[in-house]
Amino acid sequence: MRNKLPFAFMAAAAILVTWAAAVSAHHAFAAEFDATKPVHFQGTVTKMLWVNPHAWLYIDVKKPDGTVEEWMIEAGTPNTLFRRGFTKNSLAPGTEVIVDGYQAKDGALRANGRDLTLPNGQTLFLGSSGTGAPDEGGKKN
Amino acid sequence: MSRHSLSLSLVVLALVAGVGAQAPKKFTPPRTPWGDPDLQGVWNDATSTPLQRPGAVGAKDVLSDEEAVEFQANLAHDLTRDRRDGGNEVDVNRAYNEHWMDARRLKITSDRRTSLIVDPADGRIPPLVPVSPERQRARAARADANARFNAGLPESFRDMSLPVRCIIRTDSPPYLPTIYNNNFQIVQSPGYVTIAPEMIHSARIVPLDGRPHLNKNLRQWLGDSRGRWDGPTLVVETTNFRTDEGVIFQGANPDTFKITERFTRVAADAINYEFTVEDPATWTKPWTALIPWNKVDPAEQMYEYACHEDNFDIVHFLTGARTREKNGETVPKRTAPAGGER
Amino acid sequence: MRHRRTAVIGCLGTAAATLLPWLLSIPLAGQTRPGPSPFPAAYRAPRLADGHPDLNGIWQAFVTANWDLQDHEAQPGAHPEVMGAYGSGPAGQSIVEGGEIPYKPEALAKKKQNVERRMQVDVSNDKRWHDVGDPELKCYMPGVPRATYMPFPFQIVQGSGPAILIAYEFTSATRIVRMSGQQEAPNDSWMGWSRGRWEGDTLVVDVTGQREETWFDRAGDYHSGALHVVERYTPVSPFHLMYEATIEDPNVFTHPWKISFPLYRRMEKNLQLLEYKCAPFTEELLYDRFRKQAAR
Repeated sequence: MRNKLPFAFMAAAAILVTWAAAVSAHHAFAAEFDATKPVHFQGTVTKMLWVNPHAWLYIDVKKPDGTVEEWMIEAGTPNTLFRRGFTKNSLAPGTEVIVDGYQAKDGALRANGRDLTLPNGQTLFLGSSGTGAPDEGGKKN
Repeated sequence: MSRHSLSLSLVVLALVAGVGAQAPKKFTPPRTPWGDPDLQGVWNDATSTPLQRPGAVGAKDVLSDEEAVEFQANLAHDLTRDRRDGGNEVDVNRAYNEHWMDARRLKITSDRRTSLIVDPADGRIPPLVPVSPERQRARAARADANARFNAGLPESFRDMSLPVRCIIRTDSPPYLPTIYNNNFQIVQSPGYVTIAPEMIHSARIVPLDGRPHLNKNLRQWLGDSRGRWDGPTLVVETTNFRTDEGVIFQGANPDTFKITERFTRVAADAINYEFTVEDPATWTKPWTALIPWNKVDPAEQMYEYACHEDNFDIVHFLTGARTREKNGETVPKRTAPAGGER
Repeated sequence: MRHRRTAVIGCLGTAAATLLPWLLSIPLAGQTRPGPSPFPAAYRAPRLADGHPDLNGIWQAFVTANWDLQDHEAQPGAHPEVMGAYGSGPAGQSIVEGGEIPYKPEALAKKKQNVERRMQVDVSNDKRWHDVGDPELKCYMPGVPRATYMPFPFQIVQGSGPAILIAYEFTSATRIVRMSGQQEAPNDSWMGWSRGRWEGDTLVVDVTGQREETWFDRAGDYHSGALHVVERYTPVSPFHLMYEATIEDPNVFTHPWKISFPLYRRMEKNLQLLEYKCAPFTEELLYDRFRKQAAR
């Protein structure tokens, strides 16, 4: 049983330095979203904004007391998903989604969509078992 | 061909492949109707091969098959957004799950090099030249702005980087791979080669007629490019970069920085993209990196990357900062020394 | 099938070439009397290897349509107390065939509102980010056809491949005109989704999928997400393209309408598109109301 090559670790670290430059040029997520405020809720899609540099998912979240909060969920660049076959119709209003993410540090009703799943457990935007992509063969939501 | 000479040929080929040389295989590129080598198509440069050779590798310039498999598996695990371990402090930086990312970024180059840098031979950026006090001050100011931004307390849009402000991103030469939208479309016409990066939209229309560069006093965010053919290779020289902090690659000196890029079609579905940068005021010698570009499936497209138009986060960063200031948050003191950009 | 189509197009092309001088003698909107076409009657543009006319070059419009597509007098522009004659706009004749844009009566109110608020910006709320203000003011990509008549040059990059690229100096906007393939746009975009074909010597570009937030001009002329534009670029002399665009949007207009004007070849030696990245010119306007205020 071989040990992990030291190269593998060092290379990964080097990659992370290279990618960190690219990612930090893009965003400082910890600067905007609060690691101490993870969110996990189910909501109804009211609108999916497929724009750059970030797509935005608008969802209505019903609170235990019956009031409804509108949350804005930040996602990635839609171009990647267009290349997987998604279109602007891929996440229709009315769809129920579960959001896992972190809330904005200033307390706004905004979070980064760390993971987006459907109530049946399917992970959204997953090429093989997601929803909405025309080439999946499954039903569109 | 006799069996003997065939097996000899195979041995020779194996030796050549094993050396991992950059020498392109003999390939005659197609030509445009007016006779220029044809570089056209949509190309993707995503890779996980690091720019610099990691120290632990020593002098190894190419991975064996086994090492390559292990490296990629480890890297895929390290970089995947789908993992949730490490606690919230780590997890919050893994924005969005894996499928927003370019899957090709997890692959090392097909020639299994241990660095994108091919010169110097150690695969690392040459030693740096000490920068002038003036440049040190500019770098320190930018580092302070970055610290405010990273703490979530930018004072204005001026504290944000050029990519965050959607002014330049991976469209600024040299082209380095990133986490997504690593695409370039090349369209050729008589007398020109045009390179259109996806992120952010622009068209680098490179004249081939030998005309001089713009006068020195005309500066551009993406510089001013001129091209010529060297056999099958398009050689592009770019000058006239603006002097704003963050424009020039790795914070080099705008007055002495030079970049030369070479594009060579080495297969029906591959271009070798090579860049050489030099600046005696920044590096002790010039250095060169080689990044393969892979042709994308024709069904795949480059899509518009509008950036400034819907850049809501600029306002989120600023309004968030004002709220946090009200709550008494302050910027932690910066301890790391200021370095170059990109 | 392709050969037959080529032959048919060839016939149509010949017919078009015969008709062209007659067609060109029809007065452009805004001019008062018909006359002989100013362009050489039998002009035939040089060809590229694939037999299509060579539209390569740097082109620019010289109409004042970016101020107002319809008839307009000289105007002081916005904030004359600051801008003086720097900010004022010239007079111009309508480039709309028939003179007027055929708005539905109920759609005119929004045009009026647009003009009144063209210099306002308010990005404090994501959902209302684009509600007020001329997108040109904010340096947003102008869409089609506005990009064609902005007072900036653009370059047509045409080889013999499946894509023609048009690069606009204004904010480095670009678009790819797809000459083969029938893919649909996955989403709306600021410069739209362009599919091109040849009709004789005319490049016909069908543009769909444009963001509804673009305007046609500084006079608040606008459209909805149903906008459909068909452009025609026809070489009529070594130095001119005749440009036409048919604009259709049943949500806003009672029927399709057309604009046309010549595009002029820029002739300066060694001319190139320069950069006009105007986003940095708009950041104070857009974002400085959210900056840290000096302590009092």
